[in-house]
Amino acid sequence: MSNELAADPKRLPPASITFSDMSWNRTGSWRYLKPRFVHKISPCNSACPAGNDVEGFVFLTGEGRYQEALQLILEESPFPGVCGRVCYHPCESSCNRKTLDEAISIAGIERFVSQYEPLHPTKPEKARQRRIAVVGSGPAGLTCAYHLAKLGYRVTVFEKATALGGMLRLGIPAYRLPRAILDRDIGRILTLGVEVKTECCAGRDVPWQDLMAWDAVFLAIGAHNVASLGIEGERLEGVLAGTTFLGALNMGHPISLGRRVAIIGGGNTAIDCARAALRLGSQPLIVYRRTRDQMPAIEAEVEEALQEGIEVEWLASPVSLRSKNGHVTGLECIRNRLTEADEGGRARPQPIPGSEFTLDVDGVISAVGELVDTKNLPGNIRISGLAVEIDSWGRTSLQRVWAGGDAGTDPRMVVHAIGAGKRAALSMHAHFVGEDTAALDREVRVGPNGYVSMQRYLNRDAIDVKAVPEVVKPEDVNLDHFEPMDRVGSRTIDLNERVRGFSEVNEGYDEQAVAQEAHRCFHCGACDLCGICFRFCPDLAIKMGDVPGNNLLDEFYCKGCGICAEECPRSAIVMERER
Amino acid sequence: MKKVLMGDHAVSQGVRLCRAQVIAAYPITPQTFIVEELSEMCADGRLDARFIMVESEHSAMACVIGASAAGSRVFTATSSHGLVLMHEVLHWAAGARLPVVMANVNRTLGPPWNILCDHSDSMAQRDTGWIQLYVESNQEALDTVIQAYRIAEQVQLPVMVNLDGFFLSHTAEVVDVPDQQQVDAFLPAFTPEFKLDIEDPHTFGAMCLDSNFMRLRQGIQQAMDQSREVTVQVDKAFGDMFGRYYGVVEPYRLDGAETILVTAGTVTSTSRVVVDSLREKGEPVGLLKIRMLRPFPFEWIRALLGEARQIAVIDRSISYGLSGGLAAEIRSALYDLEGAHPQVFGYIAGLGGKDLVPEDIEHMVFQCSEQRRPPREDLWIGV
Repeated sequence: MSNELAADPKRLPPASITFSDMSWNRTGSWRYLKPRFVHKISPCNSACPAGNDVEGFVFLTGEGRYQEALQLILEESPFPGVCGRVCYHPCESSCNRKTLDEAISIAGIERFVSQYEPLHPTKPEKARQRRIAVVGSGPAGLTCAYHLAKLGYRVTVFEKATALGGMLRLGIPAYRLPRAILDRDIGRILTLGVEVKTECCAGRDVPWQDLMAWDAVFLAIGAHNVASLGIEGERLEGVLAGTTFLGALNMGHPISLGRRVAIIGGGNTAIDCARAALRLGSQPLIVYRRTRDQMPAIEAEVEEALQEGIEVEWLASPVSLRSKNGHVTGLECIRNRLTEADEGGRARPQPIPGSEFTLDVDGVISAVGELVDTKNLPGNIRISGLAVEIDSWGRTSLQRVWAGGDAGTDPRMVVHAIGAGKRAALSMHAHFVGEDTAALDREVRVGPNGYVSMQRYLNRDAIDVKAVPEVVKPEDVNLDHFEPMDRVGSRTIDLNERVRGFSEVNEGYDEQAVAQEAHRCFHCGACDLCGICFRFCPDLAIKMGDVPGNNLLDEFYCKGCGICAEECPRSAIVMERER
Repeated sequence: MKKVLMGDHAVSQGVRLCRAQVIAAYPITPQTFIVEELSEMCADGRLDARFIMVESEHSAMACVIGASAAGSRVFTATSSHGLVLMHEVLHWAAGARLPVVMANVNRTLGPPWNILCDHSDSMAQRDTGWIQLYVESNQEALDTVIQAYRIAEQVQLPVMVNLDGFFLSHTAEVVDVPDQQQVDAFLPAFTPEFKLDIEDPHTFGAMCLDSNFMRLRQGIQQAMDQSREVTVQVDKAFGDMFGRYYGVVEPYRLDGAETILVTAGTVTSTSRVVVDSLREKGEPVGLLKIRMLRPFPFEWIRALLGEARQIAVIDRSISYGLSGGLAAEIRSALYDLEGAHPQVFGYIAGLGGKDLVPEDIEHMVFQCSEQRRPPREDLWIGV
């Protein structure tokens, strides 16, 4: 404003406009609360047993930065190709987007980026002298080997079978997890210089005593023993264990299945067996003692099995096997009804007296569970229930021996095995460098589930002032800023094509679909530079950052009204009392 | 270029030609076509303006007030309940001396629910500090928008251009749309002396508790006074350039008239027909069209109506408990005349879209000349 005007008291401006500059009383002086840009924990991150930064890799995918997204996954898990296909994705079950329409397909996004090469080749940070024996090459063993190798340790993996992968290779059929995909993930681990001894069974080919002399041992022997059906005739010809069947199939061994095959069980093994049997030309029939909503198998797998025309005898338990000349000819069953829930929350099946019936079958596959081979373990290691007892860092009752995955007391899912492998690797490293795991509990666990993040461990010296250890709840998300948008479906190959062979059923996303799906992400608790705070600030007191979370506050003008925090779609701004 | 346009679209064309920079509006019948067309112009590039969608008319006015204070030429349009919802911020626009231009498409207020024309909405805003102009045709609507910006920016007051709902808004007639070059020559860019500038912060609308408050209020009244002459000049300049003159009022066949009709809006056209036909029969009847209601054209009223015997004022609204608003104001204008006063017959007619036909107007003329003195302040037609 001109000084001449200000100097002339007779000339008023037409409206009440101050002559003087008001910068002595900028709106910032009104403030007693101040917004802070924070980084909370998204529910998907909190729910991922592998400790993945899900929100982070979905953001990078949405930006088209696929290699960086893959790199981020590889910080935590060496199995993006595997998890993108077979994980039961608890991340999606916890997705806040469900309150608006449907969870985003995190697995689909992970699968998409897994086909790229990471931005930087994975290599050890520095060479360390300690030697570690990893027993078992399933997801737990290989993840442990991967992280230890990255930390610079000398790792040897002992595998009983002829090829690496454990249950990933022996248990999961190729139509769900093509061998090339598995080989790619494993190949990436091996480039770190991990030594591998296949067809080498710990406790038999190498005595436990010898292994105990190593600097550390990770027991990841899995659960490969077959649970008994507990009925007469389990040794008849035509009766097979599910894992035996799948193992033989997946290793390319000859199998003779009957024409009409009953598969007993309701878990993933049962579904895999049924769908594999169908592809081999048999007529599978699943016999399950409860109802569909009680099935422990992954829901999508059950759905696909039913689409393929697989029959299920619900609410039926096997009673005995019929035979002729030593070969099975029938399965006698009894009908159940469901009674009160057991301690696991599932209704208990109770046989209805007199309801017996017989299924004419010439093959039976039992898939009622797998057991840890507790007979072949280092002497006097403590067992808890049916698995090796471990503490929250995977330590067993023996010095320098860790365990995890199916062999430990972890949930029997691939992603839990990956988490267990990493947890053991981190715990071993902490042990070697003399770090207290109590401190690590505070620093490297993500949210209340306590899953371990290697990124957090490696970056714990760079204090992130934005980090707030709070998981974003559905009600924290400002839904006003989101439009409903359908989840992008994954294409599957033609049904007729499906049942004729072992081609992969799901085709995954193309680039357009993955972009669309990634853009459905709310980015709970994490700034994605959406600019809502900037646009809503009545004082223009927010300056947009160049990277997410780097927005700046103009403290001279922010009057602490809180509109930014209220409007932030993803709860990444908190209001705090100013000190 | 001549085009067949509805009144709403004539307004949109006027706004486009004035190169409005910020437009915020909320839809309401019968105004919606105006901003619908403007939003399309903004979208397809015919008009380089920011179109802000808002959740209410109150916000629409608040938006354009902010934009105007920041130095933009702004526009909004509304009608009926939208206008009365703006009431609070109308005072703000005038108090802050912002040259906001708004089209109000006259529509009555509910209940009973009714979307048709009368002047209740704008008559209720006479005290807000806005210049009010009423138009008779679609051509006048377009031309008045262009004039309005030049008046508003010169006297630093907001201008409301009122056009009758449906009679103009939704009725098409031939409109001569001026060339952009000519309008650019007529209307210079808006360059306010004071504007919001984050590089040079000052308080706008600062608290003012002393005699300066009175001075600022008086400033608005002085600007209103000044705007009469400014409007005359602007109308003259406009007419010289485009060939169409409107004036602040328009006298029609007043020579020797004993009874004079006073109208605003489209009833003027109907009244012209009545005046012509009665003149043919030898009746001494004339017509005064009120184009400018605020500021009130006292001098013109006194000069043009002072010699008549009877004045028939047609109000398309009522100030409940008083009479028609325009009639009351005409009475007050004539009161200070020396000597004999014309008698003012205040007719309330055409409320809520009730048709006002030539027979109604003839009836008024005959009633005035027969009765000589009005039986009461409000005389209802068509009840």
